[in-house]
Amino acid sequence: MIDTHETLALSVVPIAQDLFTAMIDGEPGLLTPEPATLPVVDPVHAWVDIVGPAHYRALVVTGRATADRLARALLQMADDEDVSLEDVQDALGEVANVVGGNLKGMLPEGSSLTLPVVDVVGPTATRPADHEQPLLWRGDPLVISLWTPKNGEEL
Amino acid sequence: MRALIIDDARVMRRIVATTLHDLGFETAQAADGREALDLLEAGERFDLACVDWNMPVMDGLEFVQAVRANRDWRDLTLMMVTTESEQGQIVRALAAGAHEYLIKPFTPDALMAKLDMLGLLPTKELA
Amino acid sequence: MTVSTQSFSYVSDLVRKHSAIQLTPGKEYLVESRLGPLAREKGLQGPDAVESYVQRYVRGGSAVEVVRVVEAMTTNETSWFRDSSPFTALRRVILPAVAGTDLNVWSAACSTGQEPYSIAMVLREENVARYRILATDINAQVVARARTGRYSQLEVNRGLPAPMLVRNFTRVGAEWEVDAALRGSISFQQHNLLDPPPGTGQFDVVFLRNVLIYFDMPTKQSILARLRRRVRPGGFLVLGAAETTVGVDPSWDRVDVTQGSIYRLRGGSA
Repeated sequence: MIDTHETLALSVVPIAQDLFTAMIDGEPGLLTPEPATLPVVDPVHAWVDIVGPAHYRALVVTGRATADRLARALLQMADDEDVSLEDVQDALGEVANVVGGNLKGMLPEGSSLTLPVVDVVGPTATRPADHEQPLLWRGDPLVISLWTPKNGEEL
Repeated sequence: MRALIIDDARVMRRIVATTLHDLGFETAQAADGREALDLLEAGERFDLACVDWNMPVMDGLEFVQAVRANRDWRDLTLMMVTTESEQGQIVRALAAGAHEYLIKPFTPDALMAKLDMLGLLPTKELA
Repeated sequence: MTVSTQSFSYVSDLVRKHSAIQLTPGKEYLVESRLGPLAREKGLQGPDAVESYVQRYVRGGSAVEVVRVVEAMTTNETSWFRDSSPFTALRRVILPAVAGTDLNVWSAACSTGQEPYSIAMVLREENVARYRILATDINAQVVARARTGRYSQLEVNRGLPAPMLVRNFTRVGAEWEVDAALRGSISFQQHNLLDPPPGTGQFDVVFLRNVLIYFDMPTKQSILARLRRRVRPGGFLVLGAAETTVGVDPSWDRVDVTQGSIYRLRGGSA
C-alpha cells in the first residue's frame, strides 16, 4: 500500500524542480535537494493550507536576498534591477501556491487551497512540520516544509 | 488580438503578459474575477481571457460562469491558468465553459501551444 | 534580456537555410530560451549571455556550433497536438480515404509516445473501431517509457487539449496515465530506421515526422525506399512540416492539404 503522506512528501522535490525549471530558471538542474538544512539568513516565509476533509500546509522559507533573486528571475529582470517588496512577496507566495496546488492535485478531490500568506514570521503551528525538505537554489538555501494531518490534531 | 489576464499574483500576470506581448497581443490585467467583469461590463472587448482559479473576491470558476451567462461575451475564449490540477476540477471548469486549461507551472512554449490549438496564434509558429 | 535585432536575424537566417523553418520576428524569446543552455555551457552568464554567445561563437564560428544552434532551435519537443496539421489531415483526408479497412498505422521515431497516443485519441474520437498502431523508436529506454503511457504535468501541459486530457487520461499521483484501452491498441518496439520496417502486413499510414531532416540524401532515399515496400499502394506518409519527398523519392504524390506534409504512394485506387 502506498503511504499517501510519504508519497506526497516525496513529490515536493519534483514539483518544486518542475516549477523552477519551467518558470524561474528556464533549464533544469539549478534546484537540488540537500541532505541537511543550512542556516537561512533573514528568512521570509510563504505558505498555503490545503483545507477540506483534512488539513495540510506547505511552507517555503528562504533568505530575503534569495527571495529577491527569485522574484527577479520569475519576472525576467536583470540581476541589478531593483525589485519591490511587493514583487518579492508576490513571487514567493506564488512559489508556495504552485507547490501547494500541485500537492493538492495528488489528494482525493474535495479539498481547497487557501490564498498564500507571506511574512517574515512563520505560521503558528502546534507542532513542527512533518516533513522538511532542504534545497539549494543557485547556491542559496531554500526549505520546503509539509504538514500532513495526524489523528485529527490541529496544525 | 486583445487578452485579459486575471490573477491575484502580479508576478503571474506579468509572466503571462510577457509571453502574450511577444506574440503580438495587447493585454489588460485584473486581480480578481470581479475586476475582470467590471472591465467587460464597461464595454472592453477581448479575444482571450487567461483565468486563475483561486482568487479573492470572485474566483476564476465564478468568473467563467458569469461570462458564459452573458451572450454578449460568447466570443471570448476562456483559458484557465491555475495550480488546480485534479481531474475533477478540470472537468468542472470545462463544463462551466472554459475552452482550455493550463496548469501551473508552465513554460512559455506550453502557453503558446495552447494558444495555437485555440487558433489564437497570429503567425504560424516554429515547428 | 532579448537578443539584438542583428543576432536574431542572423539566427533566423541560419535556421531557415538549414531547416526551411521560418523564425518570425517576435520569437526573440525562443532564441533566448533555446540557446540559453548553449551559452551557459560556454560559461556565459547574465542577461546578455545569449547575445554574447551568438556574437562570439556562432557568427563566423565552427560548423559544429552552427549545427548545435539549428538543432536547438528546431528540435520539436514531443508535444501531442502541438503541430495540429497532421492530425487534422488524419481526420479529414486520410480516414475518409481508408474507410472500411482494418487500419494499420506505423508511428516511426515515436520518441516518448505522444504521437502514437495522439493518433489513437483521434481514432477513438472518429469512432474507428478496427485499427492497430505500431510505434517504434531507436532508443530502447524511450520505447520503455512510451509503453508506460505515463506523463508528467509539464508534459501533458504541452500541446494536449484539456478536453482530450480528461477524456483519455487518469491522474495517478503526480502523473497522468493514458487509459488502458488506448495503451492496449498500440504495440511499442525498438527499431532502427536503417533496418527493414518492423511489424507485419502493409501499412495504410506511416507517420515519420522530423526525422528525415537529420539524414543526408542517400540515407533519406534508402529509408523511403525500404518504407515504400511496406506501404500499400495508395497508402499515406505523414512527414514533418519542413520535410518533403520531392527530389528524394519520386514514388509519392503530395496530397493537397493546406497545412502539413502529407504524401500518398502511387499506384493505389485513387
